[in-house]
Amino acid sequence: MHIMEGYLPVEHALGWTAASAPFVAYGIHAVRKRFRDNPEQRMLLGVAAAFTFILSALKLPSVTGSCSHPTGTGLGALLFGPAVMAPIGLVVLLFQALLLAHGGLTTLGANVFSMAIVGPFVAAGIFRVARGLRLSLALSVFLAACLSDLATYVTTSVQLAWAFPDATGGFAVSLAKFAGIFAITQIPLAISEGLLTVLVFNALARFNAQELRSLKLSTDLEVRAQ
Amino acid sequence: MLIEQSAYTNRWRSISPAAKGLFALSGLIASFAAATPTTAAVVALALVATTLLGAGIGCARLARVAAPALGFLLIGSLSLLVSPALDASGSLTLQWLPEGSAPFFRLVARSGAALAALLFLVLTTPLIDLIALMRRLRFPDVLLELMVVCYRMLFVFSEALHDTLTAQAARLGYATPRLALRSLGQLTANLAIQVWSRAHDLHIAALARNNDGPLRFIEPTFADTRRDLAIAALAGSILILGATLL
Repeated sequence: MHIMEGYLPVEHALGWTAASAPFVAYGIHAVRKRFRDNPEQRMLLGVAAAFTFILSALKLPSVTGSCSHPTGTGLGALLFGPAVMAPIGLVVLLFQALLLAHGGLTTLGANVFSMAIVGPFVAAGIFRVARGLRLSLALSVFLAACLSDLATYVTTSVQLAWAFPDATGGFAVSLAKFAGIFAITQIPLAISEGLLTVLVFNALARFNAQELRSLKLSTDLEVRAQ
Repeated sequence: MLIEQSAYTNRWRSISPAAKGLFALSGLIASFAAATPTTAAVVALALVATTLLGAGIGCARLARVAAPALGFLLIGSLSLLVSPALDASGSLTLQWLPEGSAPFFRLVARSGAALAALLFLVLTTPLIDLIALMRRLRFPDVLLELMVVCYRMLFVFSEALHDTLTAQAARLGYATPRLALRSLGQLTANLAIQVWSRAHDLHIAALARNNDGPLRFIEPTFADTRRDLAIAALAGSILILGATLL
């Protein structure tokens, strides 16, 4: 998913940075409030960031200037809310650029928009809809994580197609080209991420029920020891 | 992490991170300002030479760090070389180099130069120095706090992973492929719990030391920051001017 350093033209890099900025600013405000109200969640946000870092470091190359990997933002969005994931995603992407040379500084805004804004908001939305339809907790978590992963990749495909429209078919053909190439690796990865997120969520519900109850999106969960 | 090892052991460890950041920023600007692919390639070479000869990063280490990113760049840029189209009979065909080779070389050269600038920065400057620099540049405290906690948690994750793997291996958990698969499943399911629990312990430890909010650490000091900044500004200006005028 991470678009590599220098890959986007300068106007696209700046544009995506400007588009991400308000979400990150609001996310910082949300994190500050959370730190003030629940100081014990400070370290847990660090866990969410580290989890996202590790999952999204498992990368496979893609013929699109980007790469395929699980995103890990779905779990964080379900536990802490989608707004909080914008600054967490920013930190994760910055760390990946600085510690692994994966992604980049000039493409940080574009990568934040796809992985730390679109992905988490889709995850939270799908989860709410699924719970509203009275689907089981496991299926709701699976759908949220899996579809947020796919939404991230569709967004990256749109970003790349916009920056590099096809010489003959323009934006639409370019989007089909990028999305088609991504789909080969990303659909299995999205399913894997959905299953892994269910595993982790079940484990947290089993052993950390008290903490889960204190988190915003999990107050209505049927958390129980198994 | 290979990059972190270089950042702590390179020849320019004692140079001000602000100066190294300024030079890397100049490199990024130069890579975008380069008028032709050849100029961008020259910018990339200048940045690589600075990293190798100035900071004393080994050739092999730089190659190892750069290889995955360069691999992505080359594979990724292949998508610009072909264009799908329908022929007269309505079947899908691939057109080779629909816009010629210029966009391909322009993209590879620009991205390569920008990557060289990024690698210069990360291979010469530890993350902790960069966080301290961001604090001086007045980045939001909450963001810096998240960075510090995330950085610490990466090592907690690494330690929990190592401990669990060792315990499983000591009980012959990886003796056969079937056992290895089972052990990996248990490792995945339990790692989040382990780290969650350790994070809670860290919070308790911080409270026990009267921590009442931000996590602050002693920041390194650099003796000749003004001199370093002046040199970086001069070198960066030459790089940008050269990229623009050549």
